[in-house]
Amino acid sequence: MEKNIVLKAESITKYFYEPEKFQVLKGLSFEVRKSEFLALIGKSGSGKSTLLYVLSTMDTDYEGRLTINNRVVTGGTQNELAAFRNEHIGFVFQFHYLLPEFSALENVMLPAMKLKKRSKAEIEEKAYQHLSLLGLQDQALKRVNKLSGGQQQRVAIARALINDPTIIMGDEPTGNLDTRNTQIVFDIFKELSKERNQTIIAVTHDDDFASQCDRIIELSDGSII
Amino acid sequence: MLRSINNRISQVHLTSNVKQTIVAMLGVTFGISMYVFMTGFMTGVNNAQTDLAFSSLAHIRIYNDGPADNTNIAKKIYPNDIINLRNAKIIKYTEGIKNAASITSVLHNQPDITDITTQVNINVFFKNAGNKVNGVICGVDVFNENKVFNISHYMVQGNWNELKYRADGIFVGIALAKNLSLKVNDNLNVLTSDGVTRNYKVIGIFQTNVTGVDKTKAYITENAARQLLAVNQDYVTDIMINVKDYNKTQSTVDKVTKLTPYKVESWQMANQQLVAGSNLRDIIAVAVSLTILLVAGFGIYNIMNMTINQKIKEIAILKAMGFSGKDVTQIFLTEAIIIGLIGGVVGMGFGLFISKMVNRVPFNVSGLHTLPMAYLPKDYVLAFLFGLVTTFIAGYLPARKASKIDPVTIIRG
Ligand SMILES: Nc1ncnc2c1ncn2[C@@H]1O[C@H](COP(=O)(O)OP(=O)(O)O)[C@@H](O)[C@H]1O
Ligand SMILES: [Mg+2]
Repeated sequence: MEKNIVLKAESITKYFYEPEKFQVLKGLSFEVRKSEFLALIGKSGSGKSTLLYVLSTMDTDYEGRLTINNRVVTGGTQNELAAFRNEHIGFVFQFHYLLPEFSALENVMLPAMKLKKRSKAEIEEKAYQHLSLLGLQDQALKRVNKLSGGQQQRVAIARALINDPTIIMGDEPTGNLDTRNTQIVFDIFKELSKERNQTIIAVTHDDDFASQCDRIIELSDGSII
Repeated sequence: MLRSINNRISQVHLTSNVKQTIVAMLGVTFGISMYVFMTGFMTGVNNAQTDLAFSSLAHIRIYNDGPADNTNIAKKIYPNDIINLRNAKIIKYTEGIKNAASITSVLHNQPDITDITTQVNINVFFKNAGNKVNGVICGVDVFNENKVFNISHYMVQGNWNELKYRADGIFVGIALAKNLSLKVNDNLNVLTSDGVTRNYKVIGIFQTNVTGVDKTKAYITENAARQLLAVNQDYVTDIMINVKDYNKTQSTVDKVTKLTPYKVESWQMANQQLVAGSNLRDIIAVAVSLTILLVAGFGIYNIMNMTINQKIKEIAILKAMGFSGKDVTQIFLTEAIIIGLIGGVVGMGFGLFISKMVNRVPFNVSGLHTLPMAYLPKDYVLAFLFGLVTTFIAGYLPARKASKIDPVTIIRG
């Protein structure tokens, strides 16, 4: 694998068997470079989310081969993949999936506490920085279920960043945000890719958002066009 | 890092829904307190029963078992022939124990034997004018009798030790005294099966609360009893022995059997209904408490299952962020164990409280004043361990289910 390739998908094929056999992903092959900001677009039902879950290593039920950070992740055990995700992949869901009983700060700290590479004080410091970056410094100690939808989504983004992952994946990360917040999130992603050399793969419906990215991959019925 | 993130998550789960946590804990508390109370109560009842029994029962009794079964003596010599014997008679047979002193001196050397006393028991008729009652006179060694049976404890009138100085004195059971209209200082006439009669003076009345004893028994000194039978100084009918632990009589019985030609019998052999009753009560106590624990276990299982269904999304998120199945199991198992630990400690306390309360309930039967209760640390520790094991299992099954949740299916919706 070339040095600046962080993700390589080779003939990714996936079927759903319920309610009937149906091929969602039809032999997808592509590469993503380091510090690239990639937009994944396509009509609803074209297979974007399904592909992203495969790339995130959460979905292991596919054919083909996936290599991330020079490591073949296809065929890894659930526990190996969990540890791998924890360190190398940050994920932002369409719906801000946070732990409602914890504060914003603790939600952000969670992946780093699991990774155990830094002390609790360092993690806390870093989590504060990320929350400030997203304009949430005042909300840090509030329980997340007391925050607005836009604020929760930004907490989820801060959480995805905490372990400095190689790749940040987002499934319509701005889908529930207004234009102003969408622009904030976009600017943050841009900054991460340009200044910290992190790779961003974002599924989006927003043509405006996509047009500002480095590259666009468009899916149609499970194939790249 | 001293406190892991998994423990922190468990802690938040437990404290953010306090009501649910308390309900789960109460399940354990109830199970364990019932276990503690039930076993304490049953042990208490068994102990009371045993105390009652040992007021007239020694741990081991040595006696002359009578002649062997000779109803068909010829068969022993000619087993294959048909022989008809009518009216077979025993010509000579020795009653009682003739060489008591030599046997007791051997017994005194046994380390597990604590007390020994000898008795001369005689079946008699007690007579007060026209009133005639069948009963037993027990000739005793005043000092040792009290050591084995603690009989002075059961005197309602008179002083046990006075018997030592009164060769004509007799203590009678309370029901016997009533049947014969006897009071202290009254005379009591005794008739033996050999036709000998004698008069004694009632110097005390006892109440063991064992009706059969209180109705038929009387005590005189050993020597007075020998005089009544016209036998020598070394004659006794029974040797009564107490050992260190009344539950462990078998080894002593085996040893003593080798030392004497007489019948050696433990209280368990002679009173199998007592042993059976006590064992049955133990079984009931354990069965009831284990059932309660099991029900409590189901309660915890349900609550943990419910929690996990509520938190299924969060579990999926944790896994998406890189928590392994093992982490998830650990988080929920920790919650179950904390519920078990706290519920268990409270349960032991509450069980002790219930036991103390029940122990105060008046119960004036058979010499008891309140309901009996035992407080054995062993029962408390065992209840706690059972509770912990139950919660562990009840928590482990749902936790394992949680660890197998596939994050994609949940997040995809
Ligand atoms: N769990 C599932 N079982 C069966 N079919 C599914 C499942 N999830 C998605 N699909 C189908 O797969 C196709 C792709 O879905 P998805 O990847 O969610 O599309 P997108 O994110 O591009 O809108 C759709 O036709 C959808 O109906
Ligand atoms: Mg989608």
